[in-house]
Amino acid sequence: MLSLSALHQKQGKSQLMKMGLMSAVTVVVSIFALGQGSSSNLDMWTTTQTILRDIRAFVGLPDTLRACGYFDGVAWNAGQTCTNAEDLQSQIIWRLRLPRVLMAILGGVALATAGALMQGCLGNPLVSPLTLGVASGTSLGAALAIIVGFSLTTVGSLAIAGNAFVFSLIVVFIIIQLGRYRSVSAESYILVGIAITFIAGAIVSTLTYFATDAQLSQLAHWSFGSLARPNMVVVALVATSTFTLFPTAMKWSWDLNALSMGGDDFAVSTGVDPSSIRRNILILSALLTSLIIAFTGMIGFVGLAAPHMSRILIGNDYRKLLPASAICGAFLMLVADTIGRTLFAPVVIPVGIMLAVIGGPVFMYLLLQSKGVR
Amino acid sequence: MSTLLSVENLSFSWPNREVLQNLNIEIKSNELVSILGVNGAGKTTLLKCVNRILKPSAGRVSLLAQDLSTMQTIDVAQRIAYVPQSVSTNFPMEVYDVVLLGRRPYISWFVRDEDREIVSESLEFLDLEDFAFRRYDRLSGGERQRVVLAKALAQKPNLYLLDEPTSDLDLKNQVVIMKKMRELVKDTDRNSSALIAIHDIDIAARFSDKILLMHDGGIMAYGTPEEVLTPENIAEVFGVEVEILNKSGSLRIMIHGALEKETR
Repeated sequence: MLSLSALHQKQGKSQLMKMGLMSAVTVVVSIFALGQGSSSNLDMWTTTQTILRDIRAFVGLPDTLRACGYFDGVAWNAGQTCTNAEDLQSQIIWRLRLPRVLMAILGGVALATAGALMQGCLGNPLVSPLTLGVASGTSLGAALAIIVGFSLTTVGSLAIAGNAFVFSLIVVFIIIQLGRYRSVSAESYILVGIAITFIAGAIVSTLTYFATDAQLSQLAHWSFGSLARPNMVVVALVATSTFTLFPTAMKWSWDLNALSMGGDDFAVSTGVDPSSIRRNILILSALLTSLIIAFTGMIGFVGLAAPHMSRILIGNDYRKLLPASAICGAFLMLVADTIGRTLFAPVVIPVGIMLAVIGGPVFMYLLLQSKGVR
Repeated sequence: MSTLLSVENLSFSWPNREVLQNLNIEIKSNELVSILGVNGAGKTTLLKCVNRILKPSAGRVSLLAQDLSTMQTIDVAQRIAYVPQSVSTNFPMEVYDVVLLGRRPYISWFVRDEDREIVSESLEFLDLEDFAFRRYDRLSGGERQRVVLAKALAQKPNLYLLDEPTSDLDLKNQVVIMKKMRELVKDTDRNSSALIAIHDIDIAARFSDKILLMHDGGIMAYGTPEEVLTPENIAEVFGVEVEILNKSGSLRIMIHGALEKETR
């Protein structure tokens, strides 16, 4: 018989294997997603070939790369005209679908991580990234930009998203101020978040009361949550921030384990300062959330479902739960968005709606099943 | 034997109520000390002040001649392990991982072989090998308490603080927990002591080296069970008339009122 330690190590390896498998599936799905769309559906082999051919061309032409940067919005092969079908296909894949697929992955990673972090540090399985009121901050910012025309950013294309982001930072600021009180409990954070949601909701309702039909429909479209808006610049920005914040979250996984396993007193005796770690984690997850939601609109479900699905698959150890949630979130978003834009093509159903429609029943099934095993 | 914990002039008060008044306690190495007293006498508050979960309003707590208030949380956790009455959670982990949390004060991020060894030892010491990969929430009350104790053990502390560890348990598990605690404390390699808040006077008398009898936030008596558990002290603190029987060194508490009623 193996010793306990050896068994534990073996279990750790099998959990890593599961995560590896999940990420592999996500990569395969993302290649598939690049080939799917309203113009033409490519099979996976053709998509892979197209991508590989383009990457070869891209890497092989460093001068062209320097001359016309991809991130300027100018395609790297802009000198050529899209005369043949292959070029058109590349253009669609690289300029339209790639930002979208990447944004789906990033959004899933960030929102699922934020959800897992917040559930753990508040010790509450009902918490999602929208609970703290960050989302209502973004929708207030968006409503102000759309209806009043008031925006803190001058760049036209960023008027709504920028404003949404700035207003969500106000909510983050309130959380920081709240965290200064040493005695603030997990419940107080949740209650203040709900209060913020009500206040911001009331202001948005007042604004919509005076809005024109056109403004109303723009606001409604914004709030559905869509991945169509972000371009490569936004994706690069979001990717940089997400992947700098994620390792910080990983660093705190021991503290999160102590806090979510036994509450404050248990955490103290394990060497964790619960109030400061809770504040830091909430700020981090609020930042992750607002970063995504400001650019995509309301996407909430993935932040609730992905962590719980990962808990069922991997368990509640945050060292593994955080990466697993991130992968699971990316997978969910990608699948939901791909189905949403292919199901009734050329009509695109916003990812926020698709997530709830597809993810909801799957989530319920998994939860009920895992309870049944018990 | 050297002094392990010394509490000097410790006071604690909530904004409207004074809970602890001017406590002075000294605990030596390899001693098991039980705290007795009615609900609200300040037993839990004392434990939390020692573990810095609560901040005393006055006084000093020092462990091995080091002032605790000047230490980092993580350094305190390497020296003191606190076991609450019960630990419940919405996000239960597996037993092995719960006990691994006891190594948190020593781990930077990655688990070392040494940590795994200590966790396995702790699990074996508390006879939890068969439960190592079961989920915490699927265990019974006695098993859970042993898991939390194993976690405390993995911290390799000098001082164990247990807050009514036996109140939710049946007789067998009460005795198991106290026996294991005594075994731990008497292991001279470990140089550790235990301070245990407890309600059962018989069990306290049977397993403790010393008993701290608390009354209204102060110390009524502190000494060996024979010294502290007198009918006068118990009548004063609990308001119950008892007789103390000493049966070959083991104390028994006989409650007068109840006894008379039953024997007619």
